[in-house]
Amino acid sequence: MTAGNRGFYRNALRAHRFLLWAALLLLFGYLLVFLTYAANLIQFPFDYDQGEGFELVDTLLFSQGRWPWQDVETYPFYSSNYPPLFHLLAVPFAWLFGPSYAYGRALGTLATLIAAGAIAFAVRRDGGPGLLAPVSGLAFIASNTIYHIGPLNRQHMSMVMFETLAIVALANLECTGDTRKRRRTFWLGMLLILAAGYTKQLALATALAAIAFLFIRRPRRGLQLAVGLALSGGGIFLLLTLATDGQWWLQTISANVNRYDPQQALGLLQQWFGLHGFLVVPALLFLLYELYLGRLSIYSVWLVAALAVGLFSGKWGAGDSYFSTAIAATCLLAGVGCTRLLANSSGQRTLRSALALLLIPLLYLGYARAVLHLPTRTAPFASFAATLNVRPNALNGLYDSARSPEGDFPPGYADIGHLTTDKDIRAGEELVALVRAAEGPVLSEDASFALLAGKDVVTNPTQLLNLANNGLYRGDALLQMLRDRAFGLIILRAGFFPGAILQAIGENYEPDQVISMNGFDYRLYRPRPENTP
Amino acid sequence: MWERPLSKRQLGLLLVLTGSVGFIGVLAIDLLDAGREGGLGPAQSLALGAMFLIVIVGLSLLPLGDRPA
Repeated sequence: MTAGNRGFYRNALRAHRFLLWAALLLLFGYLLVFLTYAANLIQFPFDYDQGEGFELVDTLLFSQGRWPWQDVETYPFYSSNYPPLFHLLAVPFAWLFGPSYAYGRALGTLATLIAAGAIAFAVRRDGGPGLLAPVSGLAFIASNTIYHIGPLNRQHMSMVMFETLAIVALANLECTGDTRKRRRTFWLGMLLILAAGYTKQLALATALAAIAFLFIRRPRRGLQLAVGLALSGGGIFLLLTLATDGQWWLQTISANVNRYDPQQALGLLQQWFGLHGFLVVPALLFLLYELYLGRLSIYSVWLVAALAVGLFSGKWGAGDSYFSTAIAATCLLAGVGCTRLLANSSGQRTLRSALALLLIPLLYLGYARAVLHLPTRTAPFASFAATLNVRPNALNGLYDSARSPEGDFPPGYADIGHLTTDKDIRAGEELVALVRAAEGPVLSEDASFALLAGKDVVTNPTQLLNLANNGLYRGDALLQMLRDRAFGLIILRAGFFPGAILQAIGENYEPDQVISMNGFDYRLYRPRPENTP
Repeated sequence: MWERPLSKRQLGLLLVLTGSVGFIGVLAIDLLDAGREGGLGPAQSLALGAMFLIVIVGLSLLPLGDRPA
């Protein structure tokens, strides 16, 4: 090595440290953005993302010792379409605090932070030097998708947390020398996969990835995991089906077969790559390296399985959240790949190792730029946005690089991420007051207004639509109530009811007023006067 | 056999087998479900593409021999 090369290497090392600190600082900024958004949502007492209210209803039903998978043909026509674990975790809080979105959103936030911590831990365990581990964990939180779904009262991030923990637990199973410790790790991994699957059905892909990885490393172990999961998961499944007279099967499996739109999946795939490409490319390159030159790690197998789940995002009702497992796998694999690259380069002091030193932080800096999102009107981000001349392209001053400058985004990308305002809270309170004052039951597309007004939550519209699309819903009783004009008030937001229900609403109810909350128009309908055709 | 890691060639064979069976299975949906109309749907086409890719990856692993996968 010449003196010039040595000098170049030394400078590259200095630049590496400086740039990695810069990347860490930027990604830490996204953690602050995430926590600001989470704190805002936790204080917001109404539905924010479509479906949050019905997840709260599931929690409340469990807290009363009732199943959420019910016959939708009888009043109150309600059923859940999700597995129970997230809602069960929230039950103690429901006993303490009653109907509130705060604890579910806090649980979602915590799950996101734990998943990020698990990613950082795995990179560090793999030998990730210095800042690479925290940078990998923070990169997960910095993703636009993870940002906007993390703090919701939805079960998705809890599933990703359990998946990540399971993968990290099982990664080094075969390297564990101590038999007792290995057995404990195996059971822990299996339990975490079961937890993920009973949080959301999409975790099936992670289960398959874990089985495939263990089978590759030691076929008997892979078969043991497959049999263990089939027996335990299948046993719980059978018990739930029997205990709910088949409603568990009908509502969570049969009703979830939906129309597939390849354009939606393609749009979301492009968006995922566009935002996360700086990490996707190194992760995929490392996957190819392991496949052809090294040995496959569980992280590589997981990324492949997670990408397959991402392709299901073209399903009706699916969205960018279907890529969240792939984002976790990408951050993990990119971190581990960079770790290996640095380890292979260390001590060589060649031009190639100097370039590797420079490349790695630049990838994370590029990523930090690609996922840019922040509130532009809220301190302390407002001054930062003004300095960078970042102009909002979403509601309430949010800038989100997942959208075009005009605010457009591909179908399936959730139109959320903005902070709520006092005006939104006032609009929600007005809606609750109207629901409380209405005579008889109220049919609302969001559950919060009825919950806070102390009225029955009637129906879960998207589940009715899921069932109707599969020819599994007749709706006679609900249609009769609509014809009888039994509902004192109807509140529509997106019109996700089956066509026959919407038609009956149009025939028997008339528009009354529109109240805007949170960027959505809530259209209120009152019963048409008697004898009106 | 059940205690030793798969070799690259074994993994390749397994992928070729999985992809081929999957490919035929996806095509067979139309043959078995007589009520379906309109040929291959978008989800089916995607699944066929994925199965084809699995076969190609499997074939590419075959020459790599007994190195552990």
